Amino acid sequence: MPKDPETAGQQDAPHTLIPFLQSQSQTALTRLYTRPSSCLAIFRLLGPIERQIVMSLLWLEGPIASQTLNAWVTKEGRKPYGTALDTLSKIQILPNPGTRMLLNPNFKASFRMALTGGGDLNSFGVPYVSSKEKDAERDGAGDKKFGPNLEHLDSYALERWETILHYMVSSGTDSTPQRPSAGVLYLLQRSGLMQPLPSPSGYSTASSRKTSQLQISSLGFQFLLHTPHEQLWELLLQYLKMVEERQMDLVEVLNFLFMLSTMDLGREYSPDNLTQTQLVMLEDLRDYGLIWQRKSSSKRFSPTRLATTLTSSTPLLPSSGGGNTGPQGFIILETNYRLYAYTDNPLQIAVLNLFVHLKSRYPNLVVGSITRDSVRKALNNGIRADQIISYLVTHAHPQMRRNNPLLPVTVQDQIRLWELEKNRLKSADGYLYTNFAAQADYQVVLDYAKQIGVVLWENSVKRCFFASAEGHSNIRGFIERRSKDEQM
Amino acid sequence: MSHLSLLLDLQPAAWHDPTQSLQFSTFLAHILVFLNAHLAQKHENSLAIFGAFPGKSIMLYSSIDQTKPADRRVQPDPNWYQPFKTLDAALTERIREEMPQPSNSSEAEEPLPVPVALVGALAKALCCKSSTYCNFNRIIQATKVEAPSDTPLVMPESRILIVSVSPDAAASYIPLMNSIFSAQKLKVVIDVCKIYGPDTTFLQQAAYLTGGSYIRMCFLQPPSVRSLLAVPTTDRVDFRAACFCHKDIIDAGYVCSVCLSIFCQPVPVCSTCRYAHLSTRLMRPI
Repeated sequence: MPKDPETAGQQDAPHTLIPFLQSQSQTALTRLYTRPSSCLAIFRLLGPIERQIVMSLLWLEGPIASQTLNAWVTKEGRKPYGTALDTLSKIQILPNPGTRMLLNPNFKASFRMALTGGGDLNSFGVPYVSSKEKDAERDGAGDKKFGPNLEHLDSYALERWETILHYMVSSGTDSTPQRPSAGVLYLLQRSGLMQPLPSPSGYSTASSRKTSQLQISSLGFQFLLHTPHEQLWELLLQYLKMVEERQMDLVEVLNFLFMLSTMDLGREYSPDNLTQTQLVMLEDLRDYGLIWQRKSSSKRFSPTRLATTLTSSTPLLPSSGGGNTGPQGFIILETNYRLYAYTDNPLQIAVLNLFVHLKSRYPNLVVGSITRDSVRKALNNGIRADQIISYLVTHAHPQMRRNNPLLPVTVQDQIRLWELEKNRLKSADGYLYTNFAAQADYQVVLDYAKQIGVVLWENSVKRCFFASAEGHSNIRGFIERRSKDEQM
Repeated sequence: MSHLSLLLDLQPAAWHDPTQSLQFSTFLAHILVFLNAHLAQKHENSLAIFGAFPGKSIMLYSSIDQTKPADRRVQPDPNWYQPFKTLDAALTERIREEMPQPSNSSEAEEPLPVPVALVGALAKALCCKSSTYCNFNRIIQATKVEAPSDTPLVMPESRILIVSVSPDAAASYIPLMNSIFSAQKLKVVIDVCKIYGPDTTFLQQAAYLTGGSYIRMCFLQPPSVRSLLAVPTTDRVDFRAACFCHKDIIDAGYVCSVCLSIFCQPVPVCSTCRYAHLSTRLMRPI
């Protein structure tokens, strides 16, 4: 939801990468901070107060007492300030904030270098210069050919990204969309977004020749309704978690990601200075659509918009991969549960198909309705009612913006009710004890069952109760012992 | 996201004054690092730089409507973040082009240097801000996804930093006040950094009225963070105004009872609203 700038600073959740960085060892972080580009990228991922603290301390040579900085904090700022210091100390940028304030020396040196320029670490990427361009430069010719044009890069990134999402969304259905590469499939499976199909059932289609057939998991359904920026980081985090078992150096992987995020869109870079690990990554990231190369053997590469907006909080995707035809929303929802979606994007239609009963389709319009069955299907897939509603709100047509509230209340409430309805029945295995001869017998057995805590339901008028299966042998033994005692 | 408009007071006479300790080249280097730091804060942060030269004001750099071909002229450097380099190269070049060289010979003939067009630059900055505001409104109507129509639009935070070295130009009082009022309306905070020279009454008022600060440090944080990490503020603000008739700064004067124009002595007919005061006594002293 939008926040006014006053509160945005205080309530923004930390970026997803920050907790991951916090779990890294001190040596790894220190190595990471030797690269100016990494420092700049991490700095951008921090919250506004953290950034301000870093900036205040950046140009100081010696440590200052923490009281000095504390004096700046207003009364309302105490709590966010405390959390900010905590975050900074956990990622080793500001070790020991309790006693004296001194930035990590590596971070300080690199970040200063990032701001002033200089050094020879090539951390912002070595641009590719062909021999022809070198000549042109010597002649002083102004106009040069600068790699691929932006539209091409955007459409490439979008196509790659949508291939992944589209594969996920249609995995449960019969359609066989274009299959992403094996690396992507492995990543999807490892992240738990997709799982191997439980029943191979003998038939194997052409698409399942390499890996087993995958099916989207409930986590994957939730993933589809996130914003593209969250989706991208979710996948990259998973990639980072896989790094160690692939014998890759985490610091180099992170460095490369951060380098990409600080590169210039539409410029070509030379892979000559990359390490072995980073060359492997180059191929992986090409599959995700973060990098464009003319050929896989090409001696140059360009980052796409997906890569260069990694550290930006509002991704400026060409047309956000999660599903917009343009910068506009496209869904109109009426109080009678009918839904009109002005789109011809197969991915968006597939996502809508998760929770909408689609009825007819025109060149630029899909008509459907939200029914109990369609929502229940989605709920069974692990999607929550809130996620459906937030998806509808996020992608609502501009015309819907005139309504207040945005979505018809009836529909919102009904979707929530359907979710509650699903939670109304709880099933449990157990036994029903009935036909007690006397109320006293019933009471004694019931008390015993209550003692061992297995009673799920009781009705003293009908003299019966229901207990879970694990208590059955005990209760049975108790009744048998009692009846034996009575006989004796 | 946050937008910063920087107004540089480029009065050659003041900058080439040998008695000042701060060299212009050093100053420029500091400013460039400050601007880089602003751009480093967030990927979306934008920047516009205006120069106030004697008698004219020029937009030196804008990160918003930077035409791409010009952008590409700068050779990429693997050791420097590209936007920083573009900015630094462009700004230094523009200032070198525009900065008039002080001529030693004319110094004796022209004891009073032409005042810099600070207000012109301020007005340009506000226009630029206002047009991005309109653009933003248009974009937000089209894209702003989560905002239901009844919630107020979220504006990018915007502020103006004036780096000043020359004294007040009393003639610019009225246009400056008008600029301040439009800044208030646009919710733009004006910060003033007085590097040297006497305190300027008008800029103090500008900072005070828009909620900015008039000091020599701490200009990096956007206004939203200022509520949490306090910045030093000025407690003594000189509220004196300039009269409309002689443009002098006055301690006490007279105001027209109709349009509130300020005069240093009673006048029979108000020069602003043409109201003929029957008796000069009707003008109220302030």
